[in-house]
Amino acid sequence: MRSLSLYVKRNSLIHKIDPLTKIIYVFVSVISPFIMPTLMFAFSLTLINLLLLLLAKVIKRVIPIISFVFIIILTIFVIQGMFYGANQTKLFTIFNLSFYVEGILYAAKISVRAINVLLAFSLLILTTPPAEMIESLVRRGMPAKLGYIMHSVLQIIPMMSSNASIIMDAQRARGMETEGSLWVRIKAFIPLIGPLVMSSLVNTHERSIALEVRGFSAATKKTFLHQEEVPGGMKQLRVFFFLFLTAVLAWRLVL
Amino acid sequence: MRNDQKKSLWSFNFSTMALVLIPVSIGINYVGKLFAQTLRLPLWLDSIGTILAGILAGPWVGAISGGINNVIYGLTISPVSFAYGITSVAIGITAGVMARMGFVKNMKRAVIMGVVIAVVSTIVSTPINIIFWGGQTGNIWGDALFGILRSANWPVWLASGLDELAVDLPDKIATTIIAYIIYKGLPKRITVLFEES
Repeated sequence: MRSLSLYVKRNSLIHKIDPLTKIIYVFVSVISPFIMPTLMFAFSLTLINLLLLLLAKVIKRVIPIISFVFIIILTIFVIQGMFYGANQTKLFTIFNLSFYVEGILYAAKISVRAINVLLAFSLLILTTPPAEMIESLVRRGMPAKLGYIMHSVLQIIPMMSSNASIIMDAQRARGMETEGSLWVRIKAFIPLIGPLVMSSLVNTHERSIALEVRGFSAATKKTFLHQEEVPGGMKQLRVFFFLFLTAVLAWRLVL
Repeated sequence: MRNDQKKSLWSFNFSTMALVLIPVSIGINYVGKLFAQTLRLPLWLDSIGTILAGILAGPWVGAISGGINNVIYGLTISPVSFAYGITSVAIGITAGVMARMGFVKNMKRAVIMGVVIAVVSTIVSTPINIIFWGGQTGNIWGDALFGILRSANWPVWLASGLDELAVDLPDKIATTIIAYIIYKGLPKRITVLFEES
């Protein structure tokens, strides 16, 4: 069955690393620039993420994920450049609008940090199948029921969106207008989503019975279908990431 | 199903029905957004499922629907949505609590519920917007308001809060009304399956 995912299959070092180590890496890489808010630090971490994405051979797939952010970044530069609270040093003026050094630097810091967050998550998402990620978390103590919910979301979304286009066609065939004035389009919303919600909720009842028949709520210990493969050296790598985070915290407290 | 146990508002022991409702409500969120885009509506309408889950099965199921919704979005579509997971959780809890307080009895109350959800969502989102984007939301109209208020020297938190509210208020009221209409249209045979006690 089609499943929702951005995972790209490649043969790379990053792909071989187990999900948990990558999750810890993402956590450390994302949180560090917020603990130690300097432009250079955020920039270095962003560069590391870019190198890792290059190493994972998925750098091209990053573009659609982060492209939307550039419009926001542009407006951040405009607004903060003009109106940032600590603005003092004038940089340049166009059409009577003055831009300041402090605001531009602040905007740069926010933007690099945001790009860093997106790149770090992209590294995880593009190189790890969601199913493996969920399984790895269930092994570490996440409730199995939560794991089931997440798995089924990945399958239910493609299913529901294909049902959505069927319903759309059916309602159009009955003469419902989906083009025209705003009011016409608003009126079309309920006839579209109503049948979808109804059929999905009816299905939930059947699914819950099917699950119960298979012992879903049984209180016994659940086992795993697949065996987990963790390459050597990952324990040390995880410890290193946490040491790094501690160092960043210490650095912040000292400064 | 363990329906023999007595369940309270904050009961944490879900029935299997409540559990299978969560993926469906996340699917509804997704499809709501899809239809809003297809019909070119000027709203997101991406939390119909979360609110509906809160109405049908209480605040915890609403909260989990909201939280997992953003985790899955983050893992599969856009990583930024992780940061706003707390907002979705708050929306689910608010919908669940207010539904139990009788705010899904008629349309007038549902609109009030929408306003409260918008305010809660704004209060939770604003700190995230400030930490992450310096106060902006990425919505052109909201950000224009933010720019105007900042140029008039309004404090960042207030300008950012109004930026978010300008976007959230119409969206969350519309979302809640839609969830309410869907809920009222559901046959009792279905709603009773999710009800506690």
